[in-house]
Amino acid sequence: MQLTGKSKAALIIGLLPAFLIYTVFAIYPIFQSFYYSFMEWDGFSEMEFIGLQNFENLFQDTLFWNSVGNNIFVVIASVFGQIPIALFIALLLNRKIKGLKIFRTIGFLPVVLSTVVISLTWSLIYNTKNGMINEILRAVGLDFLAQNWLGDTKWSMVAVCITVIWQFVGLYLIIFLAALQNIPEEVMEAAKMDGASEWVTTWKITIPMIWDTIIVAIILCISGSLRTFDLIYVMTHGGPSHSTDVMALYMFNETFSNLKYGYGSAISVFIFFFSLILIGIVKKVLGQKFI
Amino acid sequence: MKKLGVLVLSLLLLFLTACGGGEEKASGEGKVTELTVWNDWTENRPEYKVYKDIIAKFNEENKDSIHVKIESIPHDQYETKLRTQAAGKQLPDMFRVWPGARIQPLVEGKALLPLNEILDTWEGKIPEGIMKDYAVDGKQYAIPANISETSLIYYHKDAVKKAGFEEFPKTYDELKELIKTLNDQKVTPIALGNKSIWPLQSVYISTIADRFTGSEFLPSTLSGKGSFTDENFVKALSVVEELAKLKAFNEDFNTIDEAQSRTIFNSGEAAMHFAGSWAIGPILEGIENIDNIGVAPFPSFGGEGDTAKISGAAGGGIALNAELSGKKKEAAFKFLEYFYGDELYQGLAKSNIVVPVQVEMDDSIPEIYQTANGFAQGGLAPVYDATLTPELTDMINNGLQSITIGEKTPKELAEEMQKENEQGKK
Repeated sequence: MQLTGKSKAALIIGLLPAFLIYTVFAIYPIFQSFYYSFMEWDGFSEMEFIGLQNFENLFQDTLFWNSVGNNIFVVIASVFGQIPIALFIALLLNRKIKGLKIFRTIGFLPVVLSTVVISLTWSLIYNTKNGMINEILRAVGLDFLAQNWLGDTKWSMVAVCITVIWQFVGLYLIIFLAALQNIPEEVMEAAKMDGASEWVTTWKITIPMIWDTIIVAIILCISGSLRTFDLIYVMTHGGPSHSTDVMALYMFNETFSNLKYGYGSAISVFIFFFSLILIGIVKKVLGQKFI
Repeated sequence: MKKLGVLVLSLLLLFLTACGGGEEKASGEGKVTELTVWNDWTENRPEYKVYKDIIAKFNEENKDSIHVKIESIPHDQYETKLRTQAAGKQLPDMFRVWPGARIQPLVEGKALLPLNEILDTWEGKIPEGIMKDYAVDGKQYAIPANISETSLIYYHKDAVKKAGFEEFPKTYDELKELIKTLNDQKVTPIALGNKSIWPLQSVYISTIADRFTGSEFLPSTLSGKGSFTDENFVKALSVVEELAKLKAFNEDFNTIDEAQSRTIFNSGEAAMHFAGSWAIGPILEGIENIDNIGVAPFPSFGGEGDTAKISGAAGGGIALNAELSGKKKEAAFKFLEYFYGDELYQGLAKSNIVVPVQVEMDDSIPEIYQTANGFAQGGLAPVYDATLTPELTDMINNGLQSITIGEKTPKELAEEMQKENEQGKK
């Protein structure tokens, strides 16, 4: 379709409201965060400009680095948990099975459930006294494997990550299924005629053909994991003993519980650049252009 | 293009005038002054009903001049919302506030209106020692409706008897005996829910530390005269460590919240539950044979503190927005004088809320309330999270949790707190 001068103007006017809203509610707060991060401010009294002091404190704050470490753990667990599991199930489901839609719906269900519901349900499952996991372990005589899943610093992070993986596998499952169903039939038929085994077809044809989708999924997965907040907030509050603290949670606590708006903003700024750089590196490694 | 611009502009204008008109209507039409009060009365608790009923009655009696609008926000989000709105100078006319350190930032941010003009109303009625919880530098910012005692021990009388105790332990050594016996009998000694990390600090340490250090310790340490590394304070922290090691708590205490732990107590699975006076109502409601439930003060631990005291703070205060003036200010004052009247305190006593004024008690008021109400007469020790700075509160909350799982020693926590205390002063 060709755009005449007149309809171009209409286009701009049409986009203007969305652009304005986006600027006011997304771009402007980012710059505001930058501004606050140079201030000492408790949210009420006068702001005081303190230069890079917040960042200096941040780099010496062991609790903050603890949350960064935990966050990286979540990113790794998500990328190596969610993506392979979702891909595996998608490959299994990508056949002419009866009731494919039901499987898809079941897989997608956790994604639409409210995080609070998921968190509370999994808290019950993990409960050390009457949680499902420990009950099953005890029932089959594996008492020694029963753990205080969320209350023990050795297991709390693993327990939380399993829930995160469970929550989002469905999302990537749907994305992969859509990509798989877009592979032209002829390619598959050609492979079959050449006598390629299923294994070879999967590795040499299917996966390379959806590689771009996989990269997008990985990047979505990383940026999502860097933002993890609600699930952990409800399940453990970052505890016990800061063992499940992540960056966003730490930022929230410092800002709103400890009333350090400036310091909290400095953490936000750090998260912003950290995410940007991490995603940039991953894109480069996976063979795409930076940004 | 031009036409479109005009259209957009006129739509925008229409929208703006519509908004402006709405506001004028609220404050200008008629002579009714509308006041909004923010609170956290979302749960179905009897004391919230008392508050709401009195507001409804006030509105009925003043329907030609004042209308108070109630806006309720769930407790856990309430303070965050209040702080965020305060930062943006978006506070409503009136709002529920907590005393001590928690109103301090609001006062410093000049968000609150002093009530000194109308203080005569309560003179001689509410003891000064309780009033001062809501005062900063001689200015009163809210009137207390209730006293929240934060350290009470609720227990099942039959379980304690079965463990061989005719009456509830009066010393810490006896309490440890009781805990050991209960464990041998396969009864959970104490129901605790510390996921939200404040109970061990607010309920346990506030009183335990006071028993060891005396009530002067906290204010003098915060002002820089004492130190958190004081031997007595470390001993108090060690009590929590010892209780955890004795397996005094239910196994899942770090992964369930306070309300869930109360359910464990109510079900009879645990023999004791340490909580504040806020638990009286839910326990009375949740237990069938209420005569079997006793309430005891914390035992004596030795140390320098007064063993008659338990920690507590005034609560239920409503503060006014500093920007109120003229008609609105007058209306708000009138409302406060009405709200904090005899009717409120009597209503609260009937709902088993400990109150700061003398109220007549009849037999319809349950024993555990009367006992708990009596404890306030011994005097109130400061509650830690109502006195400490937010940073120190955060530190001790997390630190106590770390102590229970052996990630930190009491001494390390004390040193950490002292370091923060010194840095915060700078």
